[in-house]
Amino acid sequence: MQEEIINTKNQAIAQITSAADAKELEEIRASYLGRNGKFTLLVKKIKDIPPEKRKEFGMTLNESKIAIENLLSNKKHELIKSLTEKREWFDLSIPGKKPNVGQLHPLTQVLADVKKVFNYLGYQIANGPEIETDYYNFEALNFPKDHPSRDTQMTFYLENGKILRTQTSAMQGRVMERMKPPFRVLAPGRNFRYEQVDASHGFEFWQVEGFIVDKDVHLTDLFGTIDYVLKELFGNEVKLRFATTNFPFVEPGVDTYMNCTICGGKGCSFCKNSGWSEIMPAGMIHPNVLKAAGIDVKKWNGFAFAIGLSRIVNLRYQIKDLRTLTTPDMRILSQF
Amino acid sequence: MLIPISWLKDFVEIKFPLKDLMWKMTEAGLTCESYKKVGDEIILNVEVTANRPDWMSIIGVAREVAAIQGLKLKKAKEINLPKKAANFPIDLVPNFNLFERWTGIVIKGVKIAPSPKWIQERIKFMGHSPINNIIDITNYVMYELGIPMHAFDYDDIFGQIMTPQLAKGGEDFTSVDNLNYRLPKNAIIIKDAKRIIDLAGIKGGLNSGIRDAQSDKDATKNIFLHVTINNPVLVRRASQALGLRSEASAIYERGPDKGGVTDAIKRALSLILETAGGEIASELVDLKKERFEPWELTLTFDKLNQILGIKIDPKEVVRILAILNLAPKKSVKGVDCTIPTYRADLKIEEDLVEEVARIYGYNKFPRTIPIGQVAAAKIPYYFDDSFILNLKNLMTSSGFSEVMTLSLVSSQILDMFEIKKENCAKIINPVSLDYEYMRPTLIPGLITGTKMNTEERVKLFETDKIYPGESYKLSGVTKGVSFREFKGAIDLIFEKLNIKELEIEFDSDKPYFHPSKAGIIKMGGDIIGEFGGISPKILSGLEIKEDIFAFEFDIASLQKHERLKRFRVVPENPPQVEDLTLIFPEKTRIGEVIRQITNHQPLITNIELRDIFRDSYTFRIWYQDPKKTLTNLEVEKIRKSILQKVKGKFGGQTKV
Repeated sequence: MQEEIINTKNQAIAQITSAADAKELEEIRASYLGRNGKFTLLVKKIKDIPPEKRKEFGMTLNESKIAIENLLSNKKHELIKSLTEKREWFDLSIPGKKPNVGQLHPLTQVLADVKKVFNYLGYQIANGPEIETDYYNFEALNFPKDHPSRDTQMTFYLENGKILRTQTSAMQGRVMERMKPPFRVLAPGRNFRYEQVDASHGFEFWQVEGFIVDKDVHLTDLFGTIDYVLKELFGNEVKLRFATTNFPFVEPGVDTYMNCTICGGKGCSFCKNSGWSEIMPAGMIHPNVLKAAGIDVKKWNGFAFAIGLSRIVNLRYQIKDLRTLTTPDMRILSQF
Repeated sequence: MLIPISWLKDFVEIKFPLKDLMWKMTEAGLTCESYKKVGDEIILNVEVTANRPDWMSIIGVAREVAAIQGLKLKKAKEINLPKKAANFPIDLVPNFNLFERWTGIVIKGVKIAPSPKWIQERIKFMGHSPINNIIDITNYVMYELGIPMHAFDYDDIFGQIMTPQLAKGGEDFTSVDNLNYRLPKNAIIIKDAKRIIDLAGIKGGLNSGIRDAQSDKDATKNIFLHVTINNPVLVRRASQALGLRSEASAIYERGPDKGGVTDAIKRALSLILETAGGEIASELVDLKKERFEPWELTLTFDKLNQILGIKIDPKEVVRILAILNLAPKKSVKGVDCTIPTYRADLKIEEDLVEEVARIYGYNKFPRTIPIGQVAAAKIPYYFDDSFILNLKNLMTSSGFSEVMTLSLVSSQILDMFEIKKENCAKIINPVSLDYEYMRPTLIPGLITGTKMNTEERVKLFETDKIYPGESYKLSGVTKGVSFREFKGAIDLIFEKLNIKELEIEFDSDKPYFHPSKAGIIKMGGDIIGEFGGISPKILSGLEIKEDIFAFEFDIASLQKHERLKRFRVVPENPPQVEDLTLIFPEKTRIGEVIRQITNHQPLITNIELRDIFRDSYTFRIWYQDPKKTLTNLEVEKIRKSILQKVKGKFGGQTKV
């Protein structure tokens, strides 16, 4: 009987020592110490041993079992250690299989960025009609009828007498008439102007209009807002300088020059070699516009601005031809 | 507007270096970003905004350049004119609706000749060719002082009478450039006793123009020189109707300096007498209803500081207004200004605020963020686009690329897609016939878009407005992709929006969809949109050979039916999963089969169509009870009921 125990133990030792991996080791463990394992079966045989020999049998069995368990444990650690320290070839450089996802249009991405910036400043988004009336598009914005100021925005006319809006500023009258100040509004949208199509001009383009009406709104606040927004969109190193300009719906009127992000101000075809590009026309809202909307100009004033979305895409991605943005060509779209 | 520097220097000293001056002019609103060199002369290119007609002149720019540099204009030379030497009659019939002011004078005995060199040179700098001394001088003074004027051959004014009136429309008119026009209705014209001699504000007539000696006529000997302030609206309308613009008409539209008329005519008169000889032959007629005089305007310090956000030293405010020639008188509350007639744009206090700010220099101001209230209530026209962004992200996850196409389409495309034009918004003055209508659907743009792409598989989508209703649509198009893959994107959207109980109508009312491979999706009676194949006729017309599938959904309808998901606790016990292959007869709606299998069967938690081979469909079914593990017997019971239902309703059965 003792012999059987010793033999089984030696078998186990031999197998454990030559085990190649954890899986094999587990199989060996199960075959000796598992439910139907060899040692387990030997334990069951105790009842066949004469009582005076049982103590000795039990002790040998126990010693063997413990020896095997220890060996199993050591072998397991040994296998793990060698696995951890093993150096084998694995090609990390092989190209992965990219999932086939589509992408959002650059205008969508830029618009989301613009909205995010204005979110911080407390602006709410307003969305209005592209088929507009002459009143909201021009008259309410202090463009008198038959005035050369309208020449800068040549208009498309529909059969029913309505027009296609030429500026998202048309939203100013619409919102201001229907709500008492204070408010901060961002109105993105599509505009249409009668222009021949070429690389820098199209008859459809995207703008984002913004305006605030409150008590004691200052010109310095307008400069600060433009500064903040352009730095958020183009980076903190951006340099700005302001110039006076004229639109009928603002007074004073402000134009912003930003150092050309393409050439860093050295001069290139983008900025017509000046090193600066014009962006974000703005100004303090003209009192006539506020009055037309029924707002008391003694209590309230405000400022307004517009950003060309296509312009931002232009500057961000260095796209020279605006027609690229409305061309459904995957060779273009997949670059975003 | 071209500004030769030497001419500018007649009126103002140039102290700043050129590049600095150009930036300072731009900063103050007189944009000057380029110049050209012609020999030794530098000619600035300035952009004049619609509110500053006074800048359409050398003197106007000179005033601005003086103010920017903190200088005064050079002292103007006094003009001393001789008394009149004769009395040639001229009868001007006033009409203050057409000519708010009308000044004129007759000069006899002039000698028509080429202008002196210095005048010729300056005319050339302005981009024009010299003609003769009289005509050149009228242009010269217009460029210099910003007030257009015209000289007539006095002897060609029949009856020595001039009557301004409105054209009836259709009259023939030959301009001094020898071009023939049909006059539009309500153009301002001047008639003498017999005929039309002038298209006022735009072009003079050939029949009364100043001329050199010709084969059949002598040179002009006596002239009538006049300055008119024309009704700007009528000039603009006539100019637009004719498609004819001149430098004069551009000034008239904006409004020349009404108070500067006599100075202008005197300047011209003095130059004419100097260069063409002659004698004054009439009084200086000046027809006007009112005296054009400077007006008073006050700028209060309160308003100034409130709009600007900084306090500018009152001394500096006065200095700026003085250098702008606004005659400031300081008081405790503000500054009273006297506005010269050439600044018709300064009407309200805010206009003076801009004057102070722009000369002070915008770039000296600090930049602050507004302190104020953020409205708690939603603004009118409030729009939350997070739903649309969600849809866009679902589409990109399904491998679709977002495109943006033009809103304007051609009549041709509408015809090709068999879309009725009567319901479409039509543009009366399109840029070209390619862009005459506003799109009533996004699909044609997307389908023609697939043509640009030579890849085998193309998946494009767009979310945007259709017209004239301006409702938002989500449209997707695939090329070279299986129907199941195309539809997968649609299924994903409805799954993520948690929209259940959709009905599919196997028919579409849109003529561009395939007659048998397209349908409508409805939800609770609302039509969400259409999807499916495109009519082969259209594909053939577009020369597209591949499979095209398209869909267009109304976004508002989708949003209306979106439901929030409820979280379902994950059961601890595992599901039983088995594959079941069933054979169906032709024309079986498998979507319906799946719906019927899961209907009223809460213990079936998922079912997928795994494989199709001919008429046999393999489904993978998940059986699970959240409270316990189902026994094989219980699963068999459910399976039996599935088979029963499938056989009874659809005639489907397992393989034998």
